[in-house]
Amino acid sequence: MAGVSTKSGVVYDARGLVEPDPEPPMTAEIDGDSAVIDATDLTTRKINLELKRVVYDEGVNNVTIVNPGSKHSLGVGILKRCNITFEGSPGWYACGLIDGPEVQINGRVGWSLGENMMSGSVVVEGPAGSLTGAALRGGDLVVKGNVGARTGIDQKGGTIIALGSAGINTGFMMQRGRQIICGDVNDGLGDSMYDGVIYVGGNVASLGVDCVPGEMNDDDVEFINRKFEIYDLGTPPDLKKFECGKVLHNYDALEPSERKLVL
Amino acid sequence: MAPKHTVAIDAEALAGKRFEYQEDMSLVEDLDLMELTPGKDLNWLEDIHLLVEDGTPAVFDRNSNSFLKIYFDIPEGREDEIARKVLMKHLISGNSYGIQLKEKHCKYHQVELGPWVADSKSVGDNWTPPVLEGWEPPLH
Repeated sequence: MAGVSTKSGVVYDARGLVEPDPEPPMTAEIDGDSAVIDATDLTTRKINLELKRVVYDEGVNNVTIVNPGSKHSLGVGILKRCNITFEGSPGWYACGLIDGPEVQINGRVGWSLGENMMSGSVVVEGPAGSLTGAALRGGDLVVKGNVGARTGIDQKGGTIIALGSAGINTGFMMQRGRQIICGDVNDGLGDSMYDGVIYVGGNVASLGVDCVPGEMNDDDVEFINRKFEIYDLGTPPDLKKFECGKVLHNYDALEPSERKLVL
Repeated sequence: MAPKHTVAIDAEALAGKRFEYQEDMSLVEDLDLMELTPGKDLNWLEDIHLLVEDGTPAVFDRNSNSFLKIYFDIPEGREDEIARKVLMKHLISGNSYGIQLKEKHCKYHQVELGPWVADSKSVGDNWTPPVLEGWEPPLH
């Protein structure tokens, strides 16, 4: 694709993006419907280019990325049903903007796992950093360790499950969706949430503005049991339910279509 | 005739027509929602519920930010299931306006009909910026 050179020497492509080298490295080992990408000597851009080549162009449905080396922004923007496994730990912004993949991470992850994810699932065997599931739209995020501050901030759908504890301001400005936090939660749970449900197994340091305790019903129990069974998480702990009190002043300022969707 | 003004966007208005599956439940009955979604449950469809728009049952299509109205009688207790099936029929048929825009406007590689259709064609690989006659890009 033709680029535009600038005074600084940086070359932009037609979309306005820097493309130092848009060619995938062609290093994946493909065996039928499976492929392995060794990320050891690859940059983030090269890893993602190779992942997209394997999934989109080669039609491979099961991809394993070994030695991810905590590099940031791995596995982002995959808009196709497939299975992706990370053997090791990706860094920040892993698996953001995905629509369809089922991801298994055999390691830990940094900030903003699954940001803006549309559908699919991400299962993390270790802990995850702050902003896990930020602006999550749909699908399931399962973290078997602790999650950091502001987990599910601006969440608009989907489910976040953490078997460990969660940090400060979990569920901040949550608009829809569900969270199951099996451990403790730090201050400001559900602050300024519009809607959605947060289940907590441990202690809540303090509730945020307009977050109130709710009544568990049969649908809640069915949902929690179903998710724990699907992801083989054992028996769920006793959980308390928290939801929006719906008295916050900005509630009346929602657009009509927003109101229909979140109320 | 002047267009009817509404507050929200209507899928019919965007398409310029009403679709058969909005009026005939038998056209959506056979859809397998579990098959169409990732994982072992409904996944993202869990957040899709039957809503009401302009007094008519409707489902929201986030791909086109519009409401898709449903005109047949929905059996009691199956409201969300039918809403999800009508939406999925709309999406896999390629009738969502958001999907129709992909061919021309996608800047990045993606499957046209979304992850719910296997072997859908690719779009976005050869995007070129629109040309405005007489306009020159500024020097960076």
